[in-house]
Amino acid sequence: MRIILLAVVVLLSITSCEKDKLPKTVDQRAYVIETIGKITTVKNLPADTIIGTNSIGQPVGAGRYSFFSLETGQWIPNIDSNSTRWDLAFAGTTIRINNATSGPGAGGAFVFNGTFESLQSVPTDSVFRIDNHPVSYAITRGSGRAWYTYDGPTNLLTPIPGRTLVIRTATGKFAKVEILNYYRGGQTPSATAADSIKIRDQRFLHFRYTYQGNGTSQF
Amino acid sequence: MRIRAVMLLILAATQVMAQSDTLLSMEEVVVTATRQERRLGNITIPVNLIQRKQIQQAGSLRLRDILQEQPGIQLTSNFGTGIQMQGLNPEHTLILIDGQPLVGRTSGVLDVSRIALSGIKRIEVVKGPSSSLYGSEAMAGVINLITENPIQPLFESSLRYGVADPDQGWGIPFKRNSFQQTEADLQATYFIGKLKVRHSNNILFADGVSFRPFSQDRIPRPIHRITHQTIIQQNLGNRAEFKLLTRYNQDRFQQEFSVRNNGITIDSYGRELNKEINLQPSLLFRISDKIRLYTRGYLTSYSGDQKLRFVQKPDSSYLDRFEQRLFRIEEQVDIKKNNYTVTAGVGFQLEQANSTRYDALANQKQNNVNYVFAQWEIKAGEKWISILGVRYDHHTLFAGAVTPKWSLRYQAKSNLSFTASVGQGFKAPDFRQLYLNFTNSVAGGYSVFGSQDAIRVINELNRVGQIAELKPDFTKLTSLRPEHSTGINVSMQYNPTPTITSQLSIFRNDIQSLIDVRQVATRADGSQLFSYLNVNRAFTQGMEASFQWQVHKNWSINSGYQLLITGDKEEWEQIRQGKEYIRELNGSSRVMNKKDYVGLPNRSNHQGQLKIKYEDTKDRYVFMRLLYRSRWTVANSNGNGVHDVQDEYASGFIQIHVAGGLPINKNISLQAGIDNLLNYQDIFYLPNLAGRTVFITIRTKFEPKQTKRINHP
Repeated sequence: MRIILLAVVVLLSITSCEKDKLPKTVDQRAYVIETIGKITTVKNLPADTIIGTNSIGQPVGAGRYSFFSLETGQWIPNIDSNSTRWDLAFAGTTIRINNATSGPGAGGAFVFNGTFESLQSVPTDSVFRIDNHPVSYAITRGSGRAWYTYDGPTNLLTPIPGRTLVIRTATGKFAKVEILNYYRGGQTPSATAADSIKIRDQRFLHFRYTYQGNGTSQF
Repeated sequence: MRIRAVMLLILAATQVMAQSDTLLSMEEVVVTATRQERRLGNITIPVNLIQRKQIQQAGSLRLRDILQEQPGIQLTSNFGTGIQMQGLNPEHTLILIDGQPLVGRTSGVLDVSRIALSGIKRIEVVKGPSSSLYGSEAMAGVINLITENPIQPLFESSLRYGVADPDQGWGIPFKRNSFQQTEADLQATYFIGKLKVRHSNNILFADGVSFRPFSQDRIPRPIHRITHQTIIQQNLGNRAEFKLLTRYNQDRFQQEFSVRNNGITIDSYGRELNKEINLQPSLLFRISDKIRLYTRGYLTSYSGDQKLRFVQKPDSSYLDRFEQRLFRIEEQVDIKKNNYTVTAGVGFQLEQANSTRYDALANQKQNNVNYVFAQWEIKAGEKWISILGVRYDHHTLFAGAVTPKWSLRYQAKSNLSFTASVGQGFKAPDFRQLYLNFTNSVAGGYSVFGSQDAIRVINELNRVGQIAELKPDFTKLTSLRPEHSTGINVSMQYNPTPTITSQLSIFRNDIQSLIDVRQVATRADGSQLFSYLNVNRAFTQGMEASFQWQVHKNWSINSGYQLLITGDKEEWEQIRQGKEYIRELNGSSRVMNKKDYVGLPNRSNHQGQLKIKYEDTKDRYVFMRLLYRSRWTVANSNGNGVHDVQDEYASGFIQIHVAGGLPINKNISLQAGIDNLLNYQDIFYLPNLAGRTVFITIRTKFEPKQTKRINHP
């Protein structure tokens, strides 16, 4: 199987875009996008990584979303947040879709219970939900709901296997997305790892997706 | 010539047998299996018998120490040290002292390191449902501590000092950073006229190890434990015998620990003080050779008191108090005829609890139980024994429970026998599951409500707009029902030669309406509200094998093994239907296979022990025990909520304990040993396991009257 490396370092993908520079690397680790056949895999996409703690000691990020285009397979600068150039926006466990209160696009999403491979087409009776940012989202937040579980005692967040996000993009095309991991390097820290490691390495999203550009609902 | 050789052989064999206590004689008497004295060779369910001598030679201090060396018993580390038999939770094993239950459980766990072995003659372990005789909680089985009766005037003392340093490997005595354990034990038996009295006193000072919910830290926790036991016995004429057991136990912990949740750490300090009293008067009256009446009273009280302050919140404190009292009176009659024995009994029990964890400390919770039980034992010829038993428990708070049991013994040959039993067990919901009203504001924030209050409290919170979401499980909240199980046990006992005994058992338990904590609602501030529901159905099954061999007149080998397979039936059904998922190594999801499923968490598939002992005629011995436990799942690390091969495991381990004894003269003996010789540690998943501990014990014993010592009266 031939591997096409679409973009390796952020810098490559955004040299043409001087308006709002994205970081070259994140903590010396590049995020990676690679495509094998129909499936594109994104690794280490920072999603509002932890920068400090709030007044009651909880770790917090800067509140900055990472916008992503499923169509072009690119991390989109924040300056384009009010456009249809992006399809998904990530910050911590929140995933926004480009529609309604989140953006000007025609986006929508729902969660399919089943493996990524088993979803061959978008069912005709599908109901796509939309965001009511910042109150509720098409991809529901909360442990055990849409795509992740959070365990308080171990302070670890784990994507639920067998949950596939079905996405209608900003331009009305279909895509299916599976979140793979939430931690830098794609490895969830051990339950016994130090909290400092769990905090430092969280909010680095790993996911794979298939985008159907021809407008049909077949993947 | 040939006859002489055979004679010699028999003589040699009997000599070996006389030496051996590795081989359990079928003449040993046990009580737990039938609620009356029975020879081991005459009972229909296997009983694991642990004698005083074995406890002493192993250098065991607490019940925990000796149970961890027994086949088919696994220790758990949440809320103290609990025991898991046949794969069931600690709350499903009843722990008795002279047949009466110990109370004072935390989250269903009765901490077996609380129980001193001073004044205990033997421990009987019965696996499999025993509710037909003992009522609630006896689902996995029963552990019965039999106290030593005052037989003859005696004075015994022992002093033990042990030292460990998990970080350095070897502890240095009296050094500040070492974990030190000092235990003093004093036992005295004397007669005042016809009154026989036996005192046992035990004091233990230890640098312990702390473990609390959600705590990931291992901090030494100084423990002072005191146990006092007095037994008064008097014969009233030839037919009646009165006995009074009193026992007092006190544990005092100095606390220092960290609680972590949602990435926030809170350091707390303070103390915990637990007190336990047992009072057990009994009167045995032999109406005739065939009929006897046994009247027993029981009064026990347990209180746990915890006071904590927090480093990060200097102006707040945490008080936790739990009190439990149990009063019981029961009457048992045993009628013996040639071919059958009937045992029947009736009892009344009153149980009360108060806790700061319920709605208010002042509000006393109460449950009354009336029960009757009966057991018919029939001997058919020399080979068959059948015992049919049934018990009915009427609880004021729940529906009654009927628990039958039928067991059989078939003596195929003098050295080969089979036993089989099928029985039911049940566990009534405990006070915690009914009345808990607990909010943890320290660790991230959550509340747990007992089922009696959950609906009312949550509806009230909802009315004032404090509830953000009601979970589907909220609609399932009803009155809790007792948990039920059905257990089947089949065993074979085979002694191929006079120096070898072996047992093989298989078991299966099917458990219905297991009570589990479920989230029923979410508060407006995002914190979770939990309650108790009868939700789960589970099974445990496996095999237990044990083998004892007197290799040589001085050497013996004793080994045991348990294979355990468990599962949640709902999860199993989901997997069968292809509705559970798991991840590939590259992170992508796939449908879970049956072979990926691990079953219930915190259970090892394999567990075993090998004990080798050298003991000569002068009572010098070396006793080595090797304990093995295979890995067990501790956390669901792939988010599917089902325990599978990809989850986080605690690693399997081998522990070795060695002890040796040397009598100096007829009054003084020395014992020295090393526990956890390999210094195996797992600070996260075995927080109660001390590092390598070197110990030395001095024992003294005086028998004022020149009577021959009787080991097992």
